[in-house]
Amino acid sequence: MSNDTPDRRGLDRRRFLTTAALGGATIVGASALGGLDADAAFAAPMPSLDPAIAKSAFAEGRISQINGSVLEVAGSYGDRHLIQLTNATSIWKLRPTTAADIKVGDGLYARGVDMPDGTIAADAVWVNIVNLYCTVKGIAKDRLHLTHGAQEHAVVGRIVGDTTTASYLGGALTSDLSRVRIGQSAQILGAWRPDDDSIDIARVTVGH
Amino acid sequence: MIPIVSDLAPLVCGVLLAVTGASKLFGRRTAQLAANTVLVRVLNDGRRAGLALRAVGAAELAVAAALLAVPDTVAPGAATAALGAGFVAYLGYARATAPESSCGCSAKAEGPIGVRSFARAGLVLLGGAVAATASGPWWSEAGRRPGWSVAFVAAAAVLLCAVSADLDHLWLLPLRRLRIRVFGNPLAGAGGGPVPVVASVELLEQSLAWQAASPIVRSALLDHWDDEGWRLLRFAGVYEAPGRGARPVNVLFALDLAASIDTTASPAVRVSVIDDDTDELVPVDLLAATGARTVLPMAR
Repeated sequence: MSNDTPDRRGLDRRRFLTTAALGGATIVGASALGGLDADAAFAAPMPSLDPAIAKSAFAEGRISQINGSVLEVAGSYGDRHLIQLTNATSIWKLRPTTAADIKVGDGLYARGVDMPDGTIAADAVWVNIVNLYCTVKGIAKDRLHLTHGAQEHAVVGRIVGDTTTASYLGGALTSDLSRVRIGQSAQILGAWRPDDDSIDIARVTVGH
Repeated sequence: MIPIVSDLAPLVCGVLLAVTGASKLFGRRTAQLAANTVLVRVLNDGRRAGLALRAVGAAELAVAAALLAVPDTVAPGAATAALGAGFVAYLGYARATAPESSCGCSAKAEGPIGVRSFARAGLVLLGGAVAATASGPWWSEAGRRPGWSVAFVAAAAVLLCAVSADLDHLWLLPLRRLRIRVFGNPLAGAGGGPVPVVASVELLEQSLAWQAASPIVRSALLDHWDDEGWRLLRFAGVYEAPGRGARPVNVLFALDLAASIDTTASPAVRVSVIDDDTDELVPVDLLAATGARTVLPMAR
């Protein structure tokens, strides 16, 4: 793991990476490579992925302690994990963010590699991520009222400006939420808020 | 007490308790429902919790029968009030010790205990107290003032519907739909902005560039920014260069800022792999593994 100074992650770093990315990048365009439909995929089967991926470790639970860049996680089944964050770890908490946003008490789902010292070096961490199948019961300017499961538990889904998107059948993800209807079944991907038990919605999928 | 209220209260309470009591006593889902209530913890056993819920249903049915048959005596009303007080106390206990548990009040699909559960139990308590003061049977009051009686029963039914989550689909959801139709969708006008980052990622993940680079990419989206009409997406990865061992790298994808799967099925994506330690561009033949294909010329 290399050390990260603040400016390396800052705008100068982005500027540098932009120049590098737009300067000498390989352009992979389907126009020159043939279509990427199902037939093409069958005609040219992909090689197996990085074999290390098969050795991926997974961990989930609630964060009980944060020691620098190591998260101590109490698993749902009584197990315990130590998650090592690196500068190459992606952190999602409603949106791509940094380790500074992670709090004790948050739920976590992590994928990484087992290290010899018993920690998991995380490639990707998703904080408080929830994926619920709900029914839309009400629509307001800043929230969706939802019920979840056979018990019809009431769930408040908060709409977060610039972040909440909708997926309608056959279309790209869009910030236009106006086609969500009361009574519809909806899949809600979002970040649970431990404070008030509501959910910040990342994506609402309807009509699929 | 106003005669029409006190004399008709036994009818309203009786019908309500008959419906909820019968659904608890005879309901096929009572056992399943009891499993979600705080009764399980109190009685230490799911089966006993189911039996307890059915026993409460039987008591409700007995009280309902008394309310309907001998409405002008004090006992049925007092028993109803006692049931209501018991429900309030039970809900208070359950709310304090297991707020996520179901109330089991009406033996239907129920959410966690909320304001409506307490309002319903409070109404049973209040209705019982009023019914105990009935001066005559409900049928003679109904015969004396049929119009007012119908209006009172209808008003009571509306009130009970309002505190029953079971009936929301009959009135609350249509009312909300109507409000959206009349006053407009509160979420209208939010769209039309720039393409969301997740839509760029969605497009990327369906692209050949992603397939070709996926053996290198290890993380989820780390960072993103827009520059000169491009959207840059940064991922962390590991690249095993021949003879140099595995190196931590940044995998950068650059896509048209305005592109999504709505606008193109075959996006042009710039892919670059940059060594995370040395910041050198790592020459990677991404397409070597995907078969013999031609690469577009480099853009300068």
